[in-house]
Amino acid sequence: MREKSTTLYLGPQHPGITGNMMVKLQLEGDTIVKATTHVGYLHRAFEKLIERRNWMQSTTILCRFCVPEPDPPEAAFALAVEQIEGREVPERGQYLRSLVLELARLQSFMLWYAGQSGSAGLYTVGQWSVGDRNYVLDLFEELTGGRIYHMYIWPGGVRRDIPEGFEDKVLRTMDYIEKRIDDYDRMMFDSAIFQKRAQGVGVITKEKAMEWGVVGAPLRGCGIGHDVRKDNPYDAYDKLDFEMGIFEGGDVWARARVRQFEIRQTISMIRQLIQNLPSGDYLNKMPNPMKWTIPAGSAYGKVESVRGEFGFHVVSDGSDKPRRAHARGPAYVHGVSLLEDVLVGENLADVSFIMNSLGVCPPEIER
Amino acid sequence: MYNDKNAQTIVDYIKNFTRKNSLFMLAYGTGCGAIELPATLTSRYDAERLGVRGAATPRQADLLLITGYLSTKTLKRVIRVYEQMQDPKYVIGFGSCTINGGMYWDSYNTIKLLDKYIPVDVYINGCMPRPESVIEGFKELQRLIAAGKADGATKYKENLDWYRNNQKKVLKNWPLVEYNW
Amino acid sequence: METSYTKEEILAQQLQAAFEHLITEVVRKDTVFAFAPKEQVSSILLYAKEKLGYISLSHLSCVDWLESGELELVYIIWSPETKVNLFVKTRIDRENPVMENTDMIWRQINTYQREIREMFGVEFPGFIGEKEFILEDWEDAPPMRRDFDTLEYVNDTFFEREGREDKQDVRERIANRSGEEIPDFAKKYSRE
Repeated sequence: MREKSTTLYLGPQHPGITGNMMVKLQLEGDTIVKATTHVGYLHRAFEKLIERRNWMQSTTILCRFCVPEPDPPEAAFALAVEQIEGREVPERGQYLRSLVLELARLQSFMLWYAGQSGSAGLYTVGQWSVGDRNYVLDLFEELTGGRIYHMYIWPGGVRRDIPEGFEDKVLRTMDYIEKRIDDYDRMMFDSAIFQKRAQGVGVITKEKAMEWGVVGAPLRGCGIGHDVRKDNPYDAYDKLDFEMGIFEGGDVWARARVRQFEIRQTISMIRQLIQNLPSGDYLNKMPNPMKWTIPAGSAYGKVESVRGEFGFHVVSDGSDKPRRAHARGPAYVHGVSLLEDVLVGENLADVSFIMNSLGVCPPEIER
Repeated sequence: MYNDKNAQTIVDYIKNFTRKNSLFMLAYGTGCGAIELPATLTSRYDAERLGVRGAATPRQADLLLITGYLSTKTLKRVIRVYEQMQDPKYVIGFGSCTINGGMYWDSYNTIKLLDKYIPVDVYINGCMPRPESVIEGFKELQRLIAAGKADGATKYKENLDWYRNNQKKVLKNWPLVEYNW
Repeated sequence: METSYTKEEILAQQLQAAFEHLITEVVRKDTVFAFAPKEQVSSILLYAKEKLGYISLSHLSCVDWLESGELELVYIIWSPETKVNLFVKTRIDRENPVMENTDMIWRQINTYQREIREMFGVEFPGFIGEKEFILEDWEDAPPMRRDFDTLEYVNDTFFEREGREDKQDVRERIANRSGEEIPDFAKKYSRE
């Protein structure tokens, strides 16, 4: 008896998808035969809005490009503008920028723990890690004034200096979180259910990775080691001591091991940044922000976020408004066309699992 | 004795008490504001002590939380989801984008006033509202239910033509069946 | 006398030697621009990918130059050995924009071409992709072009909340209500 073929809309309203997008599946029994992605539910026309605002007014909407981790878009825009104008950032400003980027990476990793284990059925890890993530958001609130959207990184430096007693608070929070991560790992990675579900699922081979242009943690989970912080270093990353996590296999298990390795590297980087913070200026102040003009030119600024390489192509024509600011998020390649390829042949129950592992984040696909 | 005036208010009181203390929230993250919801529902700012927990499908939920802006593509799906929910149902508008368009006031793809398309009971303002504001919004909804004033659903049924005209002005391919009652 | 060239200058010289009508420019560290006519672009990209090691595509972007009546396409590619970004720029006509399809070189360029076709109206004949990508039921002009006015579209289609038509200053209203005086340095905006 032949199995009947069904069409299923894993639609915008679903407890298992990572954001507001739709995947249209064609199934035979329990196996996926064809998958199509539909995006566009979160389109706000950011790039048209940036063309109507000044250079300084654009920094207020840049952080909304990527909702779980809002600092890489600001940093990429600032790098591109500094390249066009030739503006130098003082050393203390560079260290503070790297500190904020690493803290944003840490809280995004903790949100990933909740998503990945929640779609496998281990709900306790999510409750613990989201509860502890609040301590990192408290640090952000003391430094910048907001829990989620900071608007802290400006072209030329950072917005304000760190308050008194901040360094001790950061070190104490890092000590606490380091102990708790061992608990999450024991619950998630030593569990037989997670291991059996994750090994051999959602495989990307090395040739497919190079052909499709995969970046970030999925690329390092295939055995190829590229990281923007090591290849084109920016800010204070050439003075820090850290390693990339490279694991073989290309399946969900290897990508999870990559993130498990990198979260400990992030904690050690934050400690190094705090202990070696130089003194001096934190901002290379721009002239009157309402009348600031930038000479004509174009540049491409690249930053490493949790999911991969975030790039910003900025074009200026000499006036006080940007001509074109076009962003490219890492989920642009992973979430639209690669997902349609990886899902063929998998079970229906693994769709949400694979989406969490590839890091599909719809706000940065359609901006 | 059962037609006594005091007995009616006791029935209303018990009805509102049970409804306000077990609000099931639909799991739908329509915009940016959905990033503060995991923090509201876990251990520090526990919203589950008020009775709020997540529900998976529209037929099992009675609270729709519109977290942030709505593009016209999402508005089509939200109207369908809202009409699939069963009475009694409530809507909370979350963030300043539902109040007057927020920072996307000149964008061609987002709607500016949520109240013209579906009825809203409570607004929470902020960009992004803190978890304490979200809990204050839930408590305000509970106060409205206890006083018997949370009647967005009946307003929608009575003025359906007006809502439909506004919705059709923005959505071009109308997806739903026209009701004939 | 031997002069040693930087890696950006070596790249510029290699490209100049292989293609005639090419103008290259070493702009700053790790960035090289190449201005090419429309028909040469896919040969340059294939040469850079196969022979010079530029195997990774970072971005494909489009800029609207309304004053000169042209659209400019920018291909940004990157090499893992020399770590230099190469920008290949070309200009096409704005009234009838047609560009060659390059998705046999990199498969992921399909998504970028779909978006540029929807937002700017540029045709890439020969590639397979559905028409609607981000917008739904859109019947007007391509929205990212500079002659599409979004504020006018918003005022025609959407409603605005009443009570702010006169667009008064909030600080003055609050100060008038409580009877206090705004200091001098806060009175003048630098909005002009």
